[in-house]
Amino acid sequence: MSDTKAVPVMAEPETDDRARQRTPLQRLMGARATWIFLLDIALIALFTALSREGVFLSWLNTKALLLSGAEALLLAVGLAMLLGAGKFDLSLGANLVMSSVMAALAMVAMVGAGAGVGVTILAGLVVCLGTGAMIGALNGMLVAVFGINSLIATLGMLGVITGFALVATGNGQDVTGFPHQLQSGFGLRTIGGIPAPALLALTVALAMWVVIRFTAFGRHTLAIGSAPLAAERVGLRVTRHVMSLFVLAGMLAGLAGFIDIAHYQTTVINGHNNAALQAVAAAVIGGTALEGGRISIMGTIWGVALAVILQNGLVIIGVSSAYQLMAVGAVLIVAVGLDRMSSRRP
Amino acid sequence: MTTRTRGVASQDPPLAIGAEHVAKSFGHVTALRDASIAVRPGEIVALCGDNGAGKSTFLRVLQGIYRPDAGRVIIGGQEVDLTSVRDAQALGVDTVHQDLALAPDLSTVDNIFLGHEIRRRGVLGGFGILDRAEMAERADAALKELSIALPSLTVPVRELSGGQRQAVAIARAVMWSSKAVLMDEPTAALAARQSRIVCDLMRSVADRGLGVLVVSHDLPAVLEVAHRVVVLWRGKTVLDAPAADLTVPDLVATMVGHVKEAA
Repeated sequence: MSDTKAVPVMAEPETDDRARQRTPLQRLMGARATWIFLLDIALIALFTALSREGVFLSWLNTKALLLSGAEALLLAVGLAMLLGAGKFDLSLGANLVMSSVMAALAMVAMVGAGAGVGVTILAGLVVCLGTGAMIGALNGMLVAVFGINSLIATLGMLGVITGFALVATGNGQDVTGFPHQLQSGFGLRTIGGIPAPALLALTVALAMWVVIRFTAFGRHTLAIGSAPLAAERVGLRVTRHVMSLFVLAGMLAGLAGFIDIAHYQTTVINGHNNAALQAVAAAVIGGTALEGGRISIMGTIWGVALAVILQNGLVIIGVSSAYQLMAVGAVLIVAVGLDRMSSRRP
Repeated sequence: MTTRTRGVASQDPPLAIGAEHVAKSFGHVTALRDASIAVRPGEIVALCGDNGAGKSTFLRVLQGIYRPDAGRVIIGGQEVDLTSVRDAQALGVDTVHQDLALAPDLSTVDNIFLGHEIRRRGVLGGFGILDRAEMAERADAALKELSIALPSLTVPVRELSGGQRQAVAIARAVMWSSKAVLMDEPTAALAARQSRIVCDLMRSVADRGLGVLVVSHDLPAVLEVAHRVVVLWRGKTVLDAPAADLTVPDLVATMVGHVKEAA
């Protein structure tokens, strides 16, 4: 046996250089999240300068920005968790709609039956989360148990759920008539000046950041995305873990559905057709890897912010918001493209 | 060729890991007919055989991936019934794979503790928060004990060289094994110098009292590092002999099944 003190036998000069630890500053500047954050700041400055009397940065408009980003953030964070494990969920937007429809129908029925406001709204929340979780579980089963590619499985589910939501509402009639306290008490409520739904979404994002960064669940998620076979080989329960990720993302979509009906006081059946793809764009722009193994929750927040800022800012300066679609698309391609070119992988 | 013995020798010290007369078929394909091997604590045993001889199947039986149709698997001197990799791991047997053994996006520390994470004490631990400092310290100690030096334990392992990665995989397996470490072609993807380092590591592992079973095509390395060599031929153990008594041509002849004619 060789001597017990560590000698740098394994370290070859050229590999040493590659694997050297980076300083916190290097890591910060190397992170996509940082650059997207700076881009957000630049866009805020630009729109503030271009809008009349800087109305873009007014408190009223800031609140509108936060409120419109809440649902998108919940979807994007859920998707980022799935992407971390190398899985997709294209049905998140349909899940949102389905959850809100089920909750709205349940609440209308309860109001009709003379139930109290508080218990009705609580039931609405439970139905939203439950529907979201059930759809997530179904997706998870198709992917983790039956081994169907997640893109295909959730594409199929997207169609099934959307159709189901249309059938359940008599061909897409939006459901209204549930307690208005849902909107006044939550949807349009502000806490310390910040819209309650935005606070909720940011809290969830923060929680997910902690999970990814500091818990075994987070490590296992990244390990499964990074090398599914290695994860299996070290004895991780991959099937169970992937299932729970789909349920988690589904529940977050359900929560987004609850925010949706609380915000608009009606279901918005036709307003979320591109929600899942927008969530993919936001997560990937922020530095979450499509191939799995890397999640940036911070980047996801800034990615969602980018879409919201562009949408709102272009409208305020009187430009068609169609340009927002182009801008987000272009940023997505440029961000990922730059990453490819600068990647030092062998 | 004179010291050739058939099947499993006597079992005076309890086996770290072993198997007797294992058979395994998949439909009409008989992968193993009568495979036996015995690895004692502190011993390095090489499992050799031509392509299709059943090495991989045999290894998977010992790992708990396949259940044998017949025969016995022994871990720590006890006959065991393995139903999954987790069973074997719980009994103190872990595996080092040729590749795809680590999660490339995770750090060395995270890889070593994958599935064995240490939580913080107290409330934070109740929420599943990890004790990174403790894990880093123990990973560092484990690597030092095997004389493995890495430039950093916190960069993603994809940034390490092939040899460094294999060293991390071995350290990982050693850390969670109490009985035996199985190695599947641990040097196949490595350059000569790095593969010598891995052979040194095998000796370090055996010196710690673990049994080492290594599947390898690298016959010169096998003869140098292993105490004994077991050869499978068409699913059957046809040779179990001290490595010191063997030469590479002997081994090749046995592996391709020329022994019967020669004997």
